[in-house]
Amino acid sequence: MGWADRLQEAYGGGVDAGTDPVAVDVPADRWVDAVTTARDVLGCTFFDWLSAVDEGGDGFRVVCHLAAHRPGAVDHLVVRTLLPREHPSLPSVAGVFAGARWHERETHEMFGIEVTEGGEVLDLEPLLLPEEFEGHPLRKDFVLASRVARTWPGAKEPGESESTPVPKRSRRPARPPGVPDPEEWGPHE
Amino acid sequence: MSSDEHEHEQTAAPARYRVVGQGLTLSVLDVGLACCAVEFAAAVAGHPDLLPLAPDDDDAGEQVLVISGTVTDKMAPAVLRHYEQLPQPRRVVSFGSCANSGGPYWDSYCVTKGIDQVVPVDVYVPGCPPRPEALLQGLAALSEKVRGGLG
Amino acid sequence: MSEDGTTALPPRSRGVIALIEENCTSCMLCARECPAWCVHIDSHQETVAAGPGGGRDRTRNVLDRFAIDYSLCMYCSICIEVCPFEALHWSPELAAPETDIRELTHERDRLRTWMWTVPPPPELDEHAEQAKEVTAAERTAQRSRR
Repeated sequence: MGWADRLQEAYGGGVDAGTDPVAVDVPADRWVDAVTTARDVLGCTFFDWLSAVDEGGDGFRVVCHLAAHRPGAVDHLVVRTLLPREHPSLPSVAGVFAGARWHERETHEMFGIEVTEGGEVLDLEPLLLPEEFEGHPLRKDFVLASRVARTWPGAKEPGESESTPVPKRSRRPARPPGVPDPEEWGPHE
Repeated sequence: MSSDEHEHEQTAAPARYRVVGQGLTLSVLDVGLACCAVEFAAAVAGHPDLLPLAPDDDDAGEQVLVISGTVTDKMAPAVLRHYEQLPQPRRVVSFGSCANSGGPYWDSYCVTKGIDQVVPVDVYVPGCPPRPEALLQGLAALSEKVRGGLG
Repeated sequence: MSEDGTTALPPRSRGVIALIEENCTSCMLCARECPAWCVHIDSHQETVAAGPGGGRDRTRNVLDRFAIDYSLCMYCSICIEVCPFEALHWSPELAAPETDIRELTHERDRLRTWMWTVPPPPELDEHAEQAKEVTAAERTAQRSRR
């Protein structure tokens, strides 16, 4: 039986064989069961990584990469679930793979995703960010302050310099990527 | 002292190299943080002008700390402690764009924009990463600065 | 590594960027595309009066400042690739280490001197497609023969 077929049998549905590696989407309340199934039924003894993707209005997609060894080959699996943006809460899989704890700590501090165990919210120590850091940097709406603070050399038009502005500016000055409208985000006077 | 700072103390003698041919002794210690550390390793591998220094060698001359790689805000205190633990006379060589100014990660949420924000830098070596030859050029420039009595 | 500790440089080695000021039209593409924001360009507009034969006055851009900050540059080649006028070129020479970080910003005079060290482009691989300019020139030559 092929790998995708075994996944279909183990999970019943939600298998996306079009991606590489093969992915399976599960609801958030079945997250721990899905990872346990991968380990016990499908033989995924290798936990590679767990992280998240900020998908905007849809929420956060938590992704976990697992692998199963067989003689001469490795089968890869990506288990995914979607968490709502307003209150993202992920049950911990550290009981299934102990190494997942570090990845959950990183996902928690980078995305602001709450991690629970037995219904209780875990108070996770920051792993990578300095203690004074505020915000969740890997969220798409996290603004890189350096890009706002620093003057973009490309903001000038051809034929323009500090002392000689271009006479007719027909359109608004171009903003570099990642810099929001100063009306929306920036220092207050 | 927080538990973080305890973790940063050296427990083993780090690899130091004596630079010959400069008219003075430089003891070079690499703080290898990222890709530039590979170029530093390539520079010292079997290079005739860079000789490994024994850990208990006292004739160490100028102590030179080479910062090779990206300095993150979390790592910056450890680099500062490396510098403070060096006996005088001590110098710093910033190796590569990340150590010079933050480099390609200048806009990152967690990168220190140049190690000169944390320690005084004597020589900046440009490159991303700089070639191994550039390290020798940087050490030569440092020797000139030391001999010239500047700074 | 050779005896003096240097390695032979492969073709198209990236050491430092050189500028042909005459080719630059201050279009700002390199400054805009640079991911490190390390290309600094200042220019102004000048009017070129219409000749005795009539016509209208034209404006052109005159470059005042072109600087590359090598403390930030990541040697990605985007500026060189995007320049429509081939004003920027790679030189295999190494930019010298400096004691003052401001000296790592090379102004246009220094960028011009790097041009003397730019090697001619390497030959195309024998299995490569012919260069488009050569194909176009051959086509023009064939047409004129008919």
